[in-house]
Amino acid sequence: MMLSPERLALPDYEYLAQRHVLTYMEDAVCQLLENKEDVSQYGIARFFTEYFNSVCQGTHILFREFSFVQATPHNRASFLRAFWRCFRTVGKNGDLLTMKEYHCLLQLLCPDFPLELTQKAARIVLMDDAMDCLMSFSDFLLAFQIQFYYSEFLESVAAIYQDLLSGKNPNTVIVPTSSSGQHRQRPVLGEASMLEGVEASLFYQRLESLCDRHKYSCPPPALVKEVLSNVQRLTFYGFLVALSKHRGISQALGALPDKGDLMHDPAMDEELDRLLAQIPDLVNSVSASPEASCLPSRTPHRAGFSWRPLHHARKVDAESDGSTEETDESEI
Amino acid sequence: MIPGKFRSVSGRATNNVNCGLHLVIQTSPFPEKNKVELRLNKETPSFPGRLLQHDLERNYSSRQGDHINLVSSSVSSFHILQRSSEEKILYSDRLTLERQKLTVCPVIDGEEHLRLLNFQHNFITRIQNISNLRRLIFLDLYDNHIEEISGLSTLRSLRVLLLGKNRIKKISNLENLKSLDVLDLHGNQRDVDNLPCLQRLFLSFNNISNFESICCLADSPSLSDITFDGNPIAQEPWYKHTVLQNMLQLRQLDTRRVTEEERRMASVVAKKEEEKRRESHKQSLLKEKKRLTINNIARQWDLQHRVTNIAANQDRKNSDSPSLDPCQMDGSTTSAFPEETGSLDSVLTNALQALSVTDTHLVDVDGDTLSLYGSGALESLDRNWSIQTAGMVTTVSFTFIEFDEIVQVLPKLKMKFPNSLHLKFKETNLAMLQQFNALAQLHRVDQLTIDPQGNPVVNFTLWKYYVLFRLSHFNMQKINGTEVTQNDMIMAERLFGILAHVASSELPHYRVISILGDARKKQFRYLQETKGKKHGIVNEENNDSKRFVGENTNRAMLNYTTRDFYNEKLEETKEKKKFCKIYIEDLVKEATEISMKKEALQKLWPQMFIELVRDAVLETRNKNSYMKLCLQQIADQK
Repeated sequence: MMLSPERLALPDYEYLAQRHVLTYMEDAVCQLLENKEDVSQYGIARFFTEYFNSVCQGTHILFREFSFVQATPHNRASFLRAFWRCFRTVGKNGDLLTMKEYHCLLQLLCPDFPLELTQKAARIVLMDDAMDCLMSFSDFLLAFQIQFYYSEFLESVAAIYQDLLSGKNPNTVIVPTSSSGQHRQRPVLGEASMLEGVEASLFYQRLESLCDRHKYSCPPPALVKEVLSNVQRLTFYGFLVALSKHRGISQALGALPDKGDLMHDPAMDEELDRLLAQIPDLVNSVSASPEASCLPSRTPHRAGFSWRPLHHARKVDAESDGSTEETDESEI
Repeated sequence: MIPGKFRSVSGRATNNVNCGLHLVIQTSPFPEKNKVELRLNKETPSFPGRLLQHDLERNYSSRQGDHINLVSSSVSSFHILQRSSEEKILYSDRLTLERQKLTVCPVIDGEEHLRLLNFQHNFITRIQNISNLRRLIFLDLYDNHIEEISGLSTLRSLRVLLLGKNRIKKISNLENLKSLDVLDLHGNQRDVDNLPCLQRLFLSFNNISNFESICCLADSPSLSDITFDGNPIAQEPWYKHTVLQNMLQLRQLDTRRVTEEERRMASVVAKKEEEKRRESHKQSLLKEKKRLTINNIARQWDLQHRVTNIAANQDRKNSDSPSLDPCQMDGSTTSAFPEETGSLDSVLTNALQALSVTDTHLVDVDGDTLSLYGSGALESLDRNWSIQTAGMVTTVSFTFIEFDEIVQVLPKLKMKFPNSLHLKFKETNLAMLQQFNALAQLHRVDQLTIDPQGNPVVNFTLWKYYVLFRLSHFNMQKINGTEVTQNDMIMAERLFGILAHVASSELPHYRVISILGDARKKQFRYLQETKGKKHGIVNEENNDSKRFVGENTNRAMLNYTTRDFYNEKLEETKEKKKFCKIYIEDLVKEATEISMKKEALQKLWPQMFIELVRDAVLETRNKNSYMKLCLQQIADQK
């Protein structure tokens, strides 16, 4: 019954909410209700076991409605991962697809996935230009990752960007670095590219304060700072592209392997070979030899979480290790 | 001098007469009443003819009337003709008055011996003043303006009567000319059909090429004998029976007796032809109607799409000036610039309603193809199709129908048309890959044709592979006309095999059951909705479940629910979700209360424990009094 002080500090509801426990509980009970007849055959205990196992493995979001898929960061990360696993072969094949086609693939896994999200993701890849262009799988996937996982964050960022662009600065707090306290002149659109976008440092300050108070998940501020430190000025889509290509952020998200390894999934490749072998009269083409797995291996000690998102606290530093969590108090 | 059987010919072109005819009338050897033979012969461009004509002229020398005096007589206003006596003696039996610019026949005096009279190339309008020439054998009135055959009743000896190139409208007043051998009537306006006595008509070599020219002969009740040989018409395949069918009174055709058999055959053939013509006419009418219907359906489809597009645009844009296209398209709209969105909708719905009054759908069975146009056509699947018709159908084609609507009737299709192996979709709004999942429930599809028109899904790079992957259990042969190769199948598996694997093996058990169960439930529901639910349906379901096992179960996970059904389902679960939320909230409340209490207890416990201990110590300080107290307590309890 060791309750870490940090946990005690939070009131119960907030704690539960932070971990999205209630979401899963509610969903579990709902699923139970929906499948009463089928579940009654083999017992409720087994049902709950299966349910939470699938939550851990990230397969609970398959073929579920969009409202559930986007409900928690873990769901989103699981969905991204599922999408990667299922359609990596498309990328490996080298096909370039349109935004609409990617959307179709998304809909195969989530029938009511909204088109706007896909469109926004495509805009990141294409820099808001020529929306009918073909995109490669990895480009799309990385952009989609950022867009989907951090969608609320990105909306706020867009608002901030617009504010900065139009010269408004409602935040009158004087920040220690005094130079930023001065208001910028209203940039005249259409002038030389010198005035394109916003100044990086100013932008970062606004983002930092956003991350602090944002209740949705945000990218780790340190990494955001990294992204912004390389340039003087940047545009909105430039920023997003940089985010999507930043390896650290992708790793912090933990849903997908590194960009270089996006096409590798030895376990699935083996499975695929097996499936292909079942087609009669097949001339086998050998898949890539299994390489060192880049995925975080499942540690059996943990309570089943195979990757990090659920433990991703808002501050990167304070990483709680919940491995010693005991659950005999709860009777769920 | 005068030829007996005279076959005179003329090669002159005729305007009003269909064929340049020479009527040759011969009296029959057995003078039965009113039996007249007409022989119309015309040999091909007719040098001999001309020759003969010239012969005639040469023989009966045409002098330009040098020796003829025309004296006008005041009494009868006719010219009186007189010849010098020399002439009379020299040419006592012939008289040539051609090119005399005569407008009337002159009175010919004192020429009763006349046997040949030539009035060629004049302007005579009536045959007159020749009744006294009873010896006349040859009368030439070629190229005049004669309108009627008359004034010949006394000329019983007449054997040659040349009336070509006149304006004779009907053949009449020839009854008394019993000796007439040759009657030349070519170049007139005459109708042959008004010969009431005409029995035998010889029309050989007259260049008759179509039946219309001689159809008037059909009306002649007395015609019993006719020849057409040498005419182009005789070469036609329909010649004999058409003639026989139309001229029922004929007894001889081309000098051969018409037998009953032939007549019967002719009527049969003619009937068949009539049938065929009627049939093809009906067919072309049907085709035209079909075409119009399809156009109508296309327009309605278009209109509906514009409505949905506009609605979607308005959702996004909130603009006041909607697209003008539909207004322009349908001329019946009143206001061209509706200000409000509401009025635009009503305008469009009015247009839609107007269209729906006419045909809005079409069902067409053509041998092995069943074609459905327009969503109303889907209802036709409920009809009682004969087993034979239904069994023959191997291709089903859908046009101008929403794919989502088609999905709902697929079970019916499976039942009623079990042999349908080839499906064609055009203008069906197939836009997503997962819609193909819906086709998996059919028995078997060999060929699939998705027309690019109206089906955006064809623009995707991977659509064919997805079809092959999802419907792999069909072993499809052709997609859009191209053969499916082994490589295609491999590629399809390579691209999507993992999807299937993930879908089947990684889902929790209860979800597998629920998804499969959902699909089965849906089908059952569709089947139940069909009229005439039979017990056989239960078997159908069992077969389905068996088949699910047979089908690649990993693919069976991939289903398609139409948008409407999906939203319906989501609606249904809303209630449950609300309940769950409340339930969990209650649980959480309980749990937090308990945990709060525990916490509180935790805090208070040390103090409480101390107090307990202190109380106990205080109580038991004096053993005796404590014992007494306890006993009393026990006693009190009683």
